Amino acid sequence: MLRTPTAWTRCKGLSLLATRPTWTRLRESAVSNIFLVPIAVVFVVLYAAPMGQSFFYSFTNFDGYSNDVKNVGFLNYQNIFSDPTMLAALGYTVFYALTTTVLITVFAIPLALIINRKFFGRNFVRAIFFFPAIPSVAILGLIWGFILNPLGDGVLNTVIHALTGLGPIPWLADTTLAQLSTVAVAVWTLTGWHAILYLAYLQSIPSDFLEAVRIDGANRWQTFRYIILPLLTPAMTVSWLLLMTNGLKVYDLPITLTKGGPGYATTTITQALIQDGIAQAQVGQASALAVLFLLIVGIVVLAQLGLSRMLEGRYS
Amino acid sequence: MSLFRRSTPRGARARAIIAIGTAAVAIVAMAGCATSNSGSTKTTLSFYSWDAAATMKPVFAEFEKENPNITLQVTYGTPVQGYISTLQTHLNSGTAQDVFIITAENKQQIMDGGFAKPLNSEPFISNLAPAAKATYTKAGKVYGAAISSWGGGILYNKDLLAKVGFSAPPKTWDDFIDLCLKLKAAGITPFYEPADGISVSLAALVGLENAKLGGKMDAEIFSGKTTFAKTWTGALTQWNKLFTSGAESRSVAGLTGDQVTAEFEKGNVAMIGTGSWALGGIQTAAPSLKLDFMAIPGASSSYWAGAVSPGYAINAKTSHLAAAEKFVTFLQSTKGVAAYQKATASITTTKDFTPTLDPALSTMAAAVRNGEFYLPQVSWPKNSAALNTEATAQLQELIQGKTTPAAVAADLDTKLKTLGG
Repeated sequence: MLRTPTAWTRCKGLSLLATRPTWTRLRESAVSNIFLVPIAVVFVVLYAAPMGQSFFYSFTNFDGYSNDVKNVGFLNYQNIFSDPTMLAALGYTVFYALTTTVLITVFAIPLALIINRKFFGRNFVRAIFFFPAIPSVAILGLIWGFILNPLGDGVLNTVIHALTGLGPIPWLADTTLAQLSTVAVAVWTLTGWHAILYLAYLQSIPSDFLEAVRIDGANRWQTFRYIILPLLTPAMTVSWLLLMTNGLKVYDLPITLTKGGPGYATTTITQALIQDGIAQAQVGQASALAVLFLLIVGIVVLAQLGLSRMLEGRYS
Repeated sequence: MSLFRRSTPRGARARAIIAIGTAAVAIVAMAGCATSNSGSTKTTLSFYSWDAAATMKPVFAEFEKENPNITLQVTYGTPVQGYISTLQTHLNSGTAQDVFIITAENKQQIMDGGFAKPLNSEPFISNLAPAAKATYTKAGKVYGAAISSWGGGILYNKDLLAKVGFSAPPKTWDDFIDLCLKLKAAGITPFYEPADGISVSLAALVGLENAKLGGKMDAEIFSGKTTFAKTWTGALTQWNKLFTSGAESRSVAGLTGDQVTAEFEKGNVAMIGTGSWALGGIQTAAPSLKLDFMAIPGASSSYWAGAVSPGYAINAKTSHLAAAEKFVTFLQSTKGVAAYQKATASITTTKDFTPTLDPALSTMAAAVRNGEFYLPQVSWPKNSAALNTEATAQLQELIQGKTTPAAVAADLDTKLKTLGG
């Protein structure tokens, strides 16, 4: 039987590796491991050490100023569950992460299908949809604050009044509207970016597949449902992971739009962390929240990855 | 393999590297010596400034002219949160500047932690206003030297108020509500106040209650002698009339100070609740507006909101104590205060200098210089940041009509209890 060049090369490589002396292999692996040292140092200094520190502080009354700290056991964790502010922040953060993930996915996939077609000015349209993801979210928050100004001369209220005669709508001054407004701005900002991600995967679908289903008489919906959507599941895994993790960590958009209000309607976990740790000098309490938050994010991301892998497995 | 590698033996290359390294170390060390030698007669004093460079540079230039042996090394912070967090890190790691700022937001930690040197023995201490001294005093020790205060009240557009026959500031809160309703009936938006903090009108109304209790209200709340429910409910009920009567739009629940100021500058609203610090910016943005301040009218008398500005503190661990004392002394001197007042147009409060103020501030100047003002978050002896966050959130709910004045006050009592009093 003839071996393909790739398989032959692979076999040859393996046999050479097997016959190489142990010290040579050790030296080679040591050399390649050296290249991992910088990233390992960065990980330890910027992530592992602060995480360990936060874990330690979460059992203390550390205020960020004095190093004379006392062990308070699980008191900080207990306080989190009895503090309505923290629970409100947790509720809104989960609401924000879930709704933005679902809505962006629902809008980004059809958008990707549209901008994948051939039409005049296609690249310009792609750029337009991608653009909102470029400026800093803080700047977008300020611009949207101007648009959603709850007074009569807010941009959106002016347009609505001109078209319908309706009085000013308190976009950012009402609990429910403020929550929906922040989600809407996030969806507007990120849909284009995720559409481009889906577009990249769409373009990797072999045209033979699409031609074959067309010959078999599948309509557009059937092509999308049975060919395109299953082949987009890896893209959905990446997109959902990014949306969920960024959604759970969100800080900049709600803070620039509403500063967490009205009340605690749009307060996020990250904002609560900063408020506790810095403004209120309760670093111990903030650390306990950070540790809990890390666990929650870990569980959510693992569950979501499991779901994505299951879908990928079913469709592949 | 490169040509260089082939032509240079390993030993020679190693020697060359060692030689270059040694030379580099020697150069750095010599440079260090040069700095220290040249600076033997000069002291470099580090200062973490609260105010921006444009404001403070003339003040620093004046100081360095008077003290040629002291060079200021200034870092400019970004108040409030950025400044507080950076200083927190510096103090915790023992790398804080020689002189820094103590504010309402960090005074508890700085005074409790012994991070600032007590200033009681400094010659300028008698020149400080009593309110300034009291703000940064704990157990008889003064930790901060503040040279100015600000007042907060109702800033009004004279032309818009003239349209409804306004001649003198209202004497009671009900008169003020009537004035607002009159403006509204004339098609003029009467009054806005941002809801991103405790508003100046509410602060002044609570201040009247504090004045009634001889200025001891907060001390008594924190010691458990009285409660927020007993002392705040009346003021909150009065303040809430703004929204129940329709004098002020409930939409302000989502407005920031900048948005309210912008509306006022455009002439879209007749009156706003703000502080003296906003006047300069408004006059620059809208020079044609004719402006004046009025105090917040209560049930029978009027009062101002306001607070002592951040104070200068000397790092307890400074190795340049003499220079730091010279610098803080200069900042309290007539020359230093004059330079600061010129740059900021603020209401300075040191005893030996009378500031020249904008006419719009004339109504509040005497009261502010006498310390007749109130701001809860500065007056609360501890946990002020946590209580301020809670109060702001509760007030936004009250503005929306989702809670009651009594419930807001009761919530503050609960919050204080969870914070440990």
